[in-house]
Parts: sequence; C-alpha cells; structure tokens
Amino acid sequence: MRKYKRPLWAVVAVAMAFAVAACGSSGSSSTSSSSAGASSSTTSGGSSGGKTGGTASVVEGTFPQSLDPSIDFTTQGGEVHWLTHLGVLSFAHASGNAGTQIIPAIATALPTTSNGGKTYTFTVRSGLKYSDGTPVKASDFKFSVERALKLGWSAASFLTSTVQGAADYAKGKAQTVSGIIADDASGKVTVHLVTPYGAFEDVLACGGCVPFMPASTPMKPEPNNPPVGFGPYVIKNIQPNVGFDLDINPNYASQAIPGIPAGKMNITVKVESNTTTEASDVINNSADVFDWGDTIPPAEIQQVSKLTDRFRAVQSNKTFYWFLNVNEKPFNNTLAREAVATAVDRPALARLGSGALVPGCYLLPPAMVGHPTQTCPYGDPNSPPNVAKAKQLVQQSGMAGQPVTVWAENRQPRLQWAENYAATLNAIGFKATLKTIADAEYFSTIETLKNHPQTGFADWQQDFPNPTDFYQNLVDGNAILPVGNSNYEEANDPHIQSELKALYPVPATQVDSVASRWQALDYYTAQKAYVVPYGYLSSPEFLSSRIDFSKVVFSPLEGNDFSSLQLK
Amino acid sequence: MSTTATGTELSAESSAWADAGEELPPGLGPYQLAWRRLKRNKVALVFGALFLLVVILCLLAPVYSHDIAHTGPNDEHVDTALNQFGLPIGPTWHAKFFLGADNTGRDVAVRLLYGGRNSLQIGAEATLITIVLATLLGILAGYFRGPLDGLISRVFELIWAYPVILLGIALGVVLAISGLDLGFTRLSGNSLQIPAIIIGVIYIPYVGKPVRGQVLGLREREFIDAARQQGLGHMRIMFSEILPNVASTIIVFIPLIMANAILTEAGLSFLGAGVRPPNPSWGTMIGEGIGLLPAAVHTMLVPGIMLVLCVLGINVFGDGVRDALDPRAKIRIEH
Repeated sequence: MRKYKRPLWAVVAVAMAFAVAACGSSGSSSTSSSSAGASSSTTSGGSSGGKTGGTASVVEGTFPQSLDPSIDFTTQGGEVHWLTHLGVLSFAHASGNAGTQIIPAIATALPTTSNGGKTYTFTVRSGLKYSDGTPVKASDFKFSVERALKLGWSAASFLTSTVQGAADYAKGKAQTVSGIIADDASGKVTVHLVTPYGAFEDVLACGGCVPFMPASTPMKPEPNNPPVGFGPYVIKNIQPNVGFDLDINPNYASQAIPGIPAGKMNITVKVESNTTTEASDVINNSADVFDWGDTIPPAEIQQVSKLTDRFRAVQSNKTFYWFLNVNEKPFNNTLAREAVATAVDRPALARLGSGALVPGCYLLPPAMVGHPTQTCPYGDPNSPPNVAKAKQLVQQSGMAGQPVTVWAENRQPRLQWAENYAATLNAIGFKATLKTIADAEYFSTIETLKNHPQTGFADWQQDFPNPTDFYQNLVDGNAILPVGNSNYEEANDPHIQSELKALYPVPATQVDSVASRWQALDYYTAQKAYVVPYGYLSSPEFLSSRIDFSKVVFSPLEGNDFSSLQLK
Repeated sequence: MSTTATGTELSAESSAWADAGEELPPGLGPYQLAWRRLKRNKVALVFGALFLLVVILCLLAPVYSHDIAHTGPNDEHVDTALNQFGLPIGPTWHAKFFLGADNTGRDVAVRLLYGGRNSLQIGAEATLITIVLATLLGILAGYFRGPLDGLISRVFELIWAYPVILLGIALGVVLAISGLDLGFTRLSGNSLQIPAIIIGVIYIPYVGKPVRGQVLGLREREFIDAARQQGLGHMRIMFSEILPNVASTIIVFIPLIMANAILTEAGLSFLGAGVRPPNPSWGTMIGEGIGLLPAAVHTMLVPGIMLVLCVLGINVFGDGVRDALDPRAKIRIEH
C-alpha cells in the first residue's frame, strides 16, 4: 500500500531542514530552480520526441517517507523511484489501462515461470550502467532484496512471505536470501518462491519496490544521499522535508529501456502541506504540478474545474473505508456491523470530499479486476442511507449505547469524514467519540495491534493492478501482526482464507480468468461488513498552463509521470 | 493575621493613594479602596462588561441551539449547507445558519457559542490550576528558601525555558493518544480537562516566580517575626500571614492568566493539540476555516472576532483591576 504520509510538525520539519541545509552537501550542477518561471530556454527534439529543457516545479503535500528506495513505500516516493531506480520490471509509462501493463525494465524480457509457478527466471540486460557509471550486475538484484529486508522496507512482507529464505534473512537467521541465485557472467537470476504467488511479477514491477542498486551501496539508510540507481532521473539537492530535485540522468538516453522514456525537463519538488496554497500555486503558475495524492480543497475546486485545458479528474484505484474490529465490542456482533454498513452516508461523504470521492461499497475499486457488479448489499451508495433500518439493527444486536471510539487522521477531508461517521454512529444508537491522531503517526498507531482500534479511517491505494494487493494486506488473516498490522478489522474468516489460498497463485497475466471468483469474494466481504468501504478516489491531474497538458502521461499506478512533462 | 491590613500595609496603601493624587478616605480597607478606583475607570468597566456579555452569550448556547437555531453544535447538514463541491453557505441572517455553516455543514453561530463555552471553561480551569499551584509553590519556595527553593525555582525555570506553544503541542499530542491518569480519575484523550491542565501547568512559573519573590521579602518583615515569636507554625504563618499579603498580586494575575490561557488554548486547538474534534472551540473553528479561505471567509473571521473581543475585554479589565489594586504595579505576562 502506498500510504499518503504527512509530516507531524511543520515546525520540526522546517527546523530539521534548516539544520541539514546548514551542514548538508551541495555541489550539484543542477539547473533546477525553485520558481517555475525561472526555467531555462527550450530546445526541440530529444530521444523520445517533444520539447526538452527547462525545469518543472512539483508541489507535494508531504515529503516521501524516505528517498532511499530500500525504505520508502509511499505514493510520493513511488512516483520518484520508478524514474530513478528501475527494477527488474516496470509498469508501462502510459495513461489509463495501458499504464497497468507490465514491461521488462532491467530484465531483457518478462520472467519465465516453472516448477508450478514457484520459480521465476529472468536475465539482466547487458551493458547497462548506473548513473555513476558502475555496471549493472545480476547479483545487484539479490543485494537489493537483502538491503530492503535488512533496512526494514515498509512492504517487506511482499518478499518475506514469498521468496525462499527471505523471512529467515530478515530475522537474522540466515546470512543470505537462499531463494535467489544470480549469475553475473550470464546475467541470469533465478528466484525460488515458497508457494506459487501470482502477483510476484507485479511486485517486481511496482515503482521502487525492488530496485536495482550497486552491491557497494552501504547497508544502512541513506535518505539524504540515496543509493545510485538506473533510470531516467537522478535525485539531487535534498533538503529533508522541504524538497529535492530530479535531474535528467545524462547517461540514460544512450541506454534507454524501450517503453521507459528519458526525461525532458528537470524537476524541482517542494513540499507544501497546505492544500489551499498548493492549489493556488498551480493556478497561478508559480508551480507546475499538483500532488495527485491530495484533493483540491472546496474553496478552489470550482475555479480549478473550469480549467479544462489544465485539470482532469482521473478515477484511481484507491478505496476509502471504515474498518470494524471484529474482536472488539460492538463490532464483534454481525448485526452491529450490518447496521454501520447500512447507515454510512456515502453521498454526504462524497460532498465533504469536495467531489473527489466517488461513492461505492466494495473494497475492490471499480477499475480493479474483481470489482463486483451486483448491487450493494446494504443499499445504493449514491442514495441517502436507511438510518431507520440501521437503528433497528442496532437494537436487535443488543449493542445500543455501546461506546465506540472512531480513530481518524486530523487533516481535511479525512477529519470531516470521520466527524460525519461518528455522527452517524451516534444517530443509530452507539455512543461514538472521535480520537484524532497526527497524520504522520496515524497509521503506525492503528497498525499496532495492542491499541485495538475499534473502528476508524483507512484507505488503500493499489500498488499494482491485482486484487491480491488489497486482500493480502487488508483482509487476509495472515496479515494480522503485532506491529505493522494492516488488517485493522482483525478479520480471519475461514471462507475468505480458503478462497485466497486458491486465488493467490493465479499468475498476474491470468487474473482476468478468475475475475468472477474475486467478485464473489469481494461481495462476500461487503456482506460480512468487516470493512465498510464508502468510496473511491478521483485523483486530480492538475498542471500549470506552461506545461503541455496533452502530452502528459498520468499513470494509474504512479500518478503524474514526470518524464512526460514538457513545456508548451 | 486576618485580612485586615497591618500598619505596614496600611502605610503602603496610603502611599499608593497619595501617589494617585487622592485623599485617603477614612475607614476603608484596601479592597474597598481598589473597588472605588475601579469604579472610576470607565474604560475598564466597559470592557469588563463586554467580557461579561461574551460569557453570558456563551452560557446561553444551549438555549440558542435548542430554541432558536434548532440544531446542535455537532449536527451536520451536508445536503442543505454545503454545495456540490463541499463549500459551505455564508451567513443567512436567519435563525438557522445565522452566521453560515462550516466545512461539514454545521451551524457556525451555534458552534461559536458552544466553542466559547469550551474556550472559557478551559481558560477558567487553567487559570485556577495556575493560580493555586503557583501560589502554593511560590509561597513554599519563598518561605522555606534553601534546597526546596532551589528545587522549585529550577522546575520553574525549566518550564519557563521551553516555548509555551511547543510545550503545549508536545504534551497535547501525547496526552491526546494516551489520555491522562491522575490516580483518582482518568481523563480520556478528548477531555476538555487535558488542555486545561496543560495550559495551567505551563503558566505556573509566570505567577509562581513573582509570588516567590514577594514572599522572600515578606518573610523578613516584622509582622512575620512577631508571628514566629507568638509560636505560630509554618503553615499558619504561610497561609494566615503571608498569603493575604500577596493576594492583591495574585488577583492582578487572574485576568492576565485567563486571557493568555484562552489565547493559548486557541493556538493549541488551531494546531490540533488542544480541544479535540468534533468539540468546538474558537481555535479549532479558526483552524477549520483556514482551509476554506478565501471562498468562505466567515468560517475563520467569526470565531476570530469573538476571540479578539473576549481577550480584549479581559485584558483591559485586568489592567483596570491592576491599576485599582496597586497603581504603581507594572505586572505583565511576558513570554
């Protein structure tokens, strides 16, 4: 999951930035500028067509978790690392469904599978060199996996639960990941899995998930001096929690991977935690790209939505939902959960989200394989809820008057959603109070099992276009962990578990063949109301008038493709 | 000693009265004299009345909510008060949504009054905590001196050295998650008493240090020696002899601390470390309104004006009280 991270204290962030800036390194020859208007002159041409040159300014709501890809697993980090640190595979640099296609990146071709889907084999392209000139070797893949495990990559479970020996290596029980065998001479890499795992190619392709880096990279976090990578861009001029630059990698164009174009503009990324200012900056052309993970605030959405040559709302595979902890009263009661699913006011939540929320009731978003086509089990999500029926269900459950703590982040519109949700719970007979947690601390708090959150806000942005991504992390009983638990509802349903056991091995390329089975499973999950989804994100693709909007690629997985930015 | 002034204090009062260029009326105690002076300060009284008006309006919040606006402070009217983009309606000048709606379609006027209750409650509780603990610690430190004074003074300096807002944020965030266990009771993370306790504690040195300084001088005075000679115990001397003599200083501090406590609460709530949503306070309302600028200015402007009026009322009235109690005093809360 790509969690949308926001710093805890702007004050602390600024203080840290000053501290680091005061003693940090410089020396970059970057031509970037903090002002969009300060770009250099443009020239025509370039390896992938269109105008090249200049600097585009990107405003992000928050800094990536880390610019070291062995640690980061955020939307802000992913959109950077899929351009700076290519992995074995990649998703195509294309808008819409075409952007979900897996293409070979550092591998010469898609991996071949054998041994009943338990062995993956691929060959590393010969002659590739990292941005510093170091040759890319097959053994770098093994090193990258080991480094991610050693440094505690936020999505390490993708590896520890699948690759042979990865779990032991992560726990310090093994000196190496035994399931990966790399031969530098031939460039051949063989990966042995514990069990067949159909989404393994997706994991190899997701931006920044398992990037290549030289084996000489220090085995320690390097957020301010990220490891050297191979890709169209290099990271420069890092000011922690303030911003950084993405400069065009001058060595990439001559060894460009088919389907992964070289960059056309240098990029300056700066953090702007106030979404109103963020949107104003782009409206006024003092910044070029709005953070696709943010929502344009109500005060500006009317103005922005009129800018049809600069703004487009793009449906993305991100689900917002309330989790209901089945191990805590009152949600250990089926009727109480059904009451919540019946009462949630999705049209109101959509309005509070300034139109960026598309009401829905299923965990799998509409563009995801497996999204059910049946009507929602507890009423039309586009109509007002049946509160009277919900009240009746609460009475029947015998849970009326039960205290409920609603956990929520404290930023807009998530806080407004939580306030509305708490009011709904009170309206149907519970005694709900709100517990707001600073954005930067929220998920780590609710992911700690001993906190036993009763109910609260959660969301999931697809890492790859496979329903496994949602279920493996959010609903699978095996995802219940003491720390880093993302199965917040703590559900461990035998039917779901048996279905997942059958569905996980289906290869990513064949997931369409089991779409109806995923649909049935997702409908079952909605019926059980372990989670109560209420909508899907409509992401803003919003650029300044300097940028050629028609040429920009908006990846369904990584958002704005910075390598496609070019001046008009 | 009773609250009747001793010869020394009377001579001080006479001197103060003379400094003010007025003739000392016969048979009046120091507080009666102060009241006479305060009554002549029309500006202070007007602002005192303004503050009183704000308090009365806030106390009438349930009446306004139930009988006039017919909506509660946390009742959302998403369908009627927000447009399709989630932008709230402005002032209607009708009973319902008189001052418009906020970002979740709640009545701003109703939340303004309930928010005022919360802000004033926190201000009052914080002031009480500050005054009681600061007086106690200040008297103990000044009277006993030595190691106890050293310990208490260092604690004062430790708190004083930390910026008020940063200390408040740090404590507010931690306690919002874990709540506060006071031994005899447990406060949940969204209790109004948590910001009150935080603010009350961080202002202790601002009162405690001046009280301690005054007690250091008083303990050397003849009437304290006389009390010792009469065999009075430490507790009796501290609270019967010394406390009445620092009372005017403490009284002067009350409105100043109250005003600062309300402002600090607003600041902490604005930053998300004070009153927890969905409970309203003027600070949280301003914070919520910021995100709606410039399209819905009323959401930030209305609580901002109320906050200014309230704090201005207390401050000017507090200055009048200070002038009345001791025309020569120059007590200020300085951060």
